[in-house]
Amino acid sequence: MNVMFNKRDPVYVQVIRYFKEQIATGMFESGQEIPSRRELANRLKINPNTAQRAYKEMEEAGLIYTERNLPSKITKDEAILKSVRQELIMEAVDDFVSSIRSINVPVDEVLDLVKETFENEDDK
Amino acid sequence: MNRFLKLVNFELNRFMNIYLVLIALTVIVQAAGVIVTANAYMDKANQAINEEMLSAAQFIEQYGAMSFLDFARGLWFTGPIAVCAAALLFYIFMIWYRDWLGKNTFIYRLLMLPTARLNVYLAKATSIVLMVLGLVSVQLIILPLENSVLKWMVPADFRTDMTVGQIVKWDYLSILVPQSFTEFILYYGAGFMAVSVLFTAILFERSFKWKGIFLGIGYAAISAIIMLSPLLATAFMDHYYLYPLETFGLEVGLGLILTALTLWMGHYLLTKKITV
Amino acid sequence: MIEVNDIKKKFGRKQVLNGVSFTAEKGKITCIIGINGVGKTTIMNAIMNLTPLNGGQILMNGESIGKQSYEQITFIPDAIIMQPNMTIAESMQFMTDFYDSWNQERATELLDFFKLQESEKINNLSKGNRAKVNLLLGLALDVDYLLMDEPFSGIDIFSREQIAEVFTSHLVEDRGVIITTHEINDIEHLIDKAVLLDEGKVLTEFNSEEVRETEGKSVVDVMREVYQQ
Repeated sequence: MNVMFNKRDPVYVQVIRYFKEQIATGMFESGQEIPSRRELANRLKINPNTAQRAYKEMEEAGLIYTERNLPSKITKDEAILKSVRQELIMEAVDDFVSSIRSINVPVDEVLDLVKETFENEDDK
Repeated sequence: MNRFLKLVNFELNRFMNIYLVLIALTVIVQAAGVIVTANAYMDKANQAINEEMLSAAQFIEQYGAMSFLDFARGLWFTGPIAVCAAALLFYIFMIWYRDWLGKNTFIYRLLMLPTARLNVYLAKATSIVLMVLGLVSVQLIILPLENSVLKWMVPADFRTDMTVGQIVKWDYLSILVPQSFTEFILYYGAGFMAVSVLFTAILFERSFKWKGIFLGIGYAAISAIIMLSPLLATAFMDHYYLYPLETFGLEVGLGLILTALTLWMGHYLLTKKITV
Repeated sequence: MIEVNDIKKKFGRKQVLNGVSFTAEKGKITCIIGINGVGKTTIMNAIMNLTPLNGGQILMNGESIGKQSYEQITFIPDAIIMQPNMTIAESMQFMTDFYDSWNQERATELLDFFKLQESEKINNLSKGNRAKVNLLLGLALDVDYLLMDEPFSGIDIFSREQIAEVFTSHLVEDRGVIITTHEINDIEHLIDKAVLLDEGKVLTEFNSEEVRETEGKSVVDVMREVYQQ
């Protein structure tokens, strides 16, 4: 686990985002055990209270769950897992669209360029 | 109490290396001194007898018989004692300053111990007293040995024998080695008082820096004047109303009050005024 | 909770602390930040009753600091506070002898974590290792509050990383920590609360995560605003 945190967004938000990325890319699988709050704080070198906060928010959002005294796990709820992926894609697309808009490029040209770049990247 | 004893033990250990050197120095120099002094006397005797053709009796008449005091008055004997005394006197100051000086910040640890800070003070004072007692004991142990060496080197005709009991009645030795328990309490009590006055003076300096130097010196001076006041009164007043025994009682009383006051002041400075 | 209440301190004519107040809670890391060195160490010393104040008071859980408090609160200054001619083992023995709150198990764990040799003399240690021993001697006490003066200054980057790791581990778990620093960059993500100090006063105190959330500012952003006014 190696995360570069920026200094202006709340750390707990960045931790949640990191979890979502891991879920979306399949690094964290449904039902997988995740580190304890203390372990997470230690590995990411963040304040344990912050790790606690991130877990609390994720638990409320249904991303993770904790049974009794067992370690927390990634949710098995497929709908939530899918929505995480969807959410990340939509966020990226929104960012992309808003920056592309500001330079006034027709959408077809953009799409072609996107495809081309994607294929080139895959070749590498 | 337990922590106090541990502190005493710790303070003794800290000085142990130098302390052992002091003991070794005393033993070696005095042992060498006995031999050198006795040899010198016998050389002189031999020379007088062989070259000046004096009889042994004439020589003794002229130069006196060799006694232990001939050795005890010399530098071989008093030198190591003076060095030890100077070292301990110096250490009365260093036992505090070593915790502050240079890069040393050990005073942080001492002041943050979960025990009354007065225990740190008392442990240091106790260590000094114990170290003095230790050196005196060493001296007492080697005195009979030195006496034997002397007897062994100088023939009976040439010497005036003294027992250890007689030797320790001589001059400053009679203060270092008190003759009775009362004297012991008095002399070492006075010693403890002197050490604590110096300690409190040091703490004045540590608490108030430059101003503290004057406060410390002032405190020591006032203490001295208080203790000397009965004697000063005798010297300067036309009529002195107290019998010697009453004067003595007064001194003891003053000493006790001054010691208590000094310890209280040390406690106050350590808890309220000290700066690391 | 540690409450520092309107404390004042003069050195000669110089007013080093001019009414400083802040609180530090158990389970949180409170960071006292000051650009220039004045005052931070004095605050620490004052909390530990190692220097007299000219005004104000300091309370721990509602009571003033006395001899018994030293089993509940400890201070790790920026220089090692042990006899330098002692070995690490002897230092640990000293702590065992005098503190009921000494936790030998944790001490051994820390020794392991920092990769220190018990038999080594403090005198012969590198600067970084000396800082680690200093930290070990404080952290192995089962105290509620830990004060650390510039734990990151003057040591190499790897030692710094190790020390930062300790902060987020169970070794500090649930304790109240107050640290001073002039260099916040390394530890921005570690702290709960920042207390900005200048010219003997607290300019502002804030929760770092809260400032990021509500104002989108980093600790350094706030410092820039406050100090450059």
